[in-house]
Amino acid sequence: MRSDYAVVGKRIPKLDAPDKVTGRTVYADDLKMSGLLTGAIKRSPHPHARILSVDVSAAEALPGVYAVIHAGNVTQRPFGFGHDNIPLKDRVARCVGDEVAAVAAVDAATAQRALDLIRVDYELLPAVDDPFEALQPGAPRIHDELDIEGNVSMEWNFQTGDLAEAEQRSAVIVSGSYSSPQAAPAPIETHVVIAGFDADGDLEVISPVHMVFMYRKELADCLGLDWRRITVRQPPVGGSFGGKIDIDAHDFIAVMLARAARRPVKLAMSREEEFTGTRTRQPIHFRLRTGAAADGTLLFRHAEVVSDNGAYNAWGSHALLVAMNTVTSMYRVGTSRLAAKVVYTNKNYGGSVRGFGNPQATFAVEQQMEELADVLGMDPMDLRLKNANRPGDVTPQGLEITSCGLSECLETVRRKSGWDQRRGRMRRQHRGLGAAAYVHVGGGARIYGSDGCGAMIKIDDSGRVALISGSSELGQGSETALAMIVAETLGVPLEAVSVSHDDTDVKPWDVGVHASRTTFVAGNAARMAAAKARDELLEGAAEVLDRPARSLTIRDGVISVPGEPTATLRYEKAVRRRLLREGSSIIMTSAFYDPPTQRQDENYVGNISASYGFGAHVAEIEVDPDTGMVRVLGLWAAHDVGRAINPMSCEGQIEGGAVMGVGLALSEELPVEDGRFPAPNLHDYGMPTTMDAPPIDVTLIETADELGPFGAKGIGEGGIILPPAAIANAVADAVGVRPRSYPIRPWKLRRWIETGERSHVDKHPHPVPDENAR
Amino acid sequence: MNGYCRPRSVSEAVAILAANSGAMVIAGGTDLVIDRRLGRADPQAPLVDVTGIDGLRDVHWDGDELHLGATATVREIESDPAVIVRASALAEAARVLGSVQIRNMATLGGNLCTASPAAEMAPPLMVHDAVVAIQGPDGERRWAVADFATGPRTTILASGEILTNVRLRTPAHSGSCYLRQTVRWAMDLAGVGVAAWVLTDGTGREAAVQEARVALGAVAPTAVLVPGLEALLAGAPPTTERLGAVSAAASAACKPISDTRGTAEHRRHVAGVLAARALSIAHARAAGLWSGGLAPVNGRESAVASSGARA
Repeated sequence: MRSDYAVVGKRIPKLDAPDKVTGRTVYADDLKMSGLLTGAIKRSPHPHARILSVDVSAAEALPGVYAVIHAGNVTQRPFGFGHDNIPLKDRVARCVGDEVAAVAAVDAATAQRALDLIRVDYELLPAVDDPFEALQPGAPRIHDELDIEGNVSMEWNFQTGDLAEAEQRSAVIVSGSYSSPQAAPAPIETHVVIAGFDADGDLEVISPVHMVFMYRKELADCLGLDWRRITVRQPPVGGSFGGKIDIDAHDFIAVMLARAARRPVKLAMSREEEFTGTRTRQPIHFRLRTGAAADGTLLFRHAEVVSDNGAYNAWGSHALLVAMNTVTSMYRVGTSRLAAKVVYTNKNYGGSVRGFGNPQATFAVEQQMEELADVLGMDPMDLRLKNANRPGDVTPQGLEITSCGLSECLETVRRKSGWDQRRGRMRRQHRGLGAAAYVHVGGGARIYGSDGCGAMIKIDDSGRVALISGSSELGQGSETALAMIVAETLGVPLEAVSVSHDDTDVKPWDVGVHASRTTFVAGNAARMAAAKARDELLEGAAEVLDRPARSLTIRDGVISVPGEPTATLRYEKAVRRRLLREGSSIIMTSAFYDPPTQRQDENYVGNISASYGFGAHVAEIEVDPDTGMVRVLGLWAAHDVGRAINPMSCEGQIEGGAVMGVGLALSEELPVEDGRFPAPNLHDYGMPTTMDAPPIDVTLIETADELGPFGAKGIGEGGIILPPAAIANAVADAVGVRPRSYPIRPWKLRRWIETGERSHVDKHPHPVPDENAR
Repeated sequence: MNGYCRPRSVSEAVAILAANSGAMVIAGGTDLVIDRRLGRADPQAPLVDVTGIDGLRDVHWDGDELHLGATATVREIESDPAVIVRASALAEAARVLGSVQIRNMATLGGNLCTASPAAEMAPPLMVHDAVVAIQGPDGERRWAVADFATGPRTTILASGEILTNVRLRTPAHSGSCYLRQTVRWAMDLAGVGVAAWVLTDGTGREAAVQEARVALGAVAPTAVLVPGLEALLAGAPPTTERLGAVSAAASAACKPISDTRGTAEHRRHVAGVLAARALSIAHARAAGLWSGGLAPVNGRESAVASSGARA
């Protein structure tokens, strides 16, 4: 692989970090503007209730109140997949936190007083917060206005091969159920939106959302606005972890408030609202069976899945898209079948959270790999390596595996963790090692007609290179990676490059930041635009140096002719040369990159991503079997990143994701009681602290993807996918019981230890004593 | 008074409280500010800030008696080298309360007066048989810390009274320990917190127990002392068999609820497990067998150092 890059592959601290850690960054909530009102939302306290009447007269009469809105006095249309949601609920509240009315007032205290003065009459309806209960005949119907069977919002069904025949051929079959909880992305910055109309009626919305163009279109569609007259500005994002992809009811409400108040309005979620009124990671329940031949060749995987959607279809309803990839395409499986129901329940609904269905699916699939290995008497790493995906594979779902370092990732964590010497040999100390591996989209994910992103490059007379990217920085490091790609392509110093991406009026279209796609898709767009700018630079220099442009090279900002040490020109001079002459021109280029992928067809077949990322973890844990407490002692992580544009940033993404994954594995959960979160705060929500974070050993595996910019592929989500599965496997190694759900909280683990929760072996290769089946 | 005042003496504070029946005492504010925001405490109530009172923050030793001023911060208690050695349970409870930032603000008196069932400082003070001093309009009274809290968020403090200090004795051949079970390893409330204190007749493995106390937090409406331990332990070293009886007694003393930090059944079980561990460590300290330092938070030897992953 090429290693003579000037910028790519260097360890560069994030360019936006100094301002963030010194408090200089101006976030949406810091913005001040003349006449800005404070908005607040009246939310349903009930999980399921008919809204009989909304009386806002007292609130409207309160001095300092500029607008009070509810379904009865606004124009709004349904939104969400299947149009099952509406910003201000008009008939029924379907979860605690549902938006019923909203106010805009001169300050927060007045807004709160106005909310208290709004009288809503409810007729309580029977509620259901468990998806299996919601599937029962006679369960309360959550969307009786929709033409659906029971409470099933959507179904995802895939099958390939002959399942009965694969079962027959299997020497061993393991089965089991694996569940995950409702969890929250919980970024430091809660959701904020500022909306205001100018005198001409043009709308400006300021929001840390990161699917800005889709957001603009949805605002227009729902509120009957002309989308040509909407500008979305995106200030720096104070963390998202996927939670700020979805357009939420409060986004529409801010615009409706601004329209009613004729003043700009800010809606900023409190921490409690962030938990109850913005989107969560949906619980997914897997019933999984895996079969293999006696030599360990995987023969089938069969998943029956219930996804606990919550009250409406936000992006979380589509998490099965990714979960399905893992079931059908993680390792060479051959026959696979997945039947999933996305089920409405009366609680906060699922959104898009980092990993998007994959931590949940991998928890099932990768536990079962170690269960299978144990029954077969094989080392789980050997079983994985035997079945590992390889370059050139096309999976039954049509995923075309190109660059693939899965085997190298597995071998790396195996070696570095001392797996062969230590796994299965530390049970006396209640310590164990567990592994897991993943496949995840790494070259975009076509969920829309276009999976593209635009880029523009402008070089001014000083030599400053401005990249205007369609994409967004949300803490993941894309700004730095994109600047590095541009600096490398152009041959200019990194400090000459700036990145802008904050305004839909200025930046080119992009589908949005999701699916670990930014370095790959926005990076390719930036590289293409930079290559065009480089051509123009060299043409300018060719005139000065009197050499053909194609004979010139540029590095560190110096244009030179190979073999002629004196024939050099600073690139800024080439820019000025073009500018300060008769018939002058500036350098401004653009490109749009849409990866060569397919939208999946009605059978869920299609190469959804231009590349796939792979990775493997080994976790070492110690269990205190008498209290059920688990300590993670170490984590070894190897990830196929294609090419590390910025190794420091790749490691940061992996480490941050892994710690988030440790939180999923052991502590994070939003418990629901009667449709309510009893404790929607960071005190009770078990986000891990540094004291819970293990030492993490990261290895970057570089496989030089053919289509990725400089060979890079996505790594934004990889880190979070594996800890729940790897830690569960390590618990099984340490104490011999099989975790059935995460988080593995102390009382759950103790109960599994007491009841001896074991693998369910439906078919043995040969009769074995029970203790071999862990 | 207006919304806030900061008296310079205990008598001034008592006078202000007596004259303003709705006023609330604030010290570090780490509980009260949150309670006011959540509406658990009246957000309009005037505040009497006692952190300006001379001498109320003192931590000092008078022979084997430890004097802890009510506004001594949890961080000060955690960091006191003599507390670590002679009242280890107190230091072990202090170092797991909230975060460092919280501990820099939170006070001993505040933790007792909030009277959370999971109050970190209550069980160690109870096993050390601490006595609280209360100043009110009618003068000072003293009370066993074990009887200070009367229920979740209620205490014996009458209107106009403030807690001024807590005192406890640490005789020779005594040792203590505080352990807990949590979901995460820091910044978490105890699912179960257990303190133990032992007085032995000398040093060494065979040192017999003369007196012993175990107190449990987060498993009942207030922290509770486990009754009947003397009969189980006195006159002999804490053998495995005797520790088993302590476990059973501790479990039996629980009246737990199920919530996000544990099921009732689990809490009952873990109270027993941690009682035996804490008692065993307290005995080792009393008998001069402890090699120093604070115990792992759950009393189990941890193995972080031997992990192969890079730090």
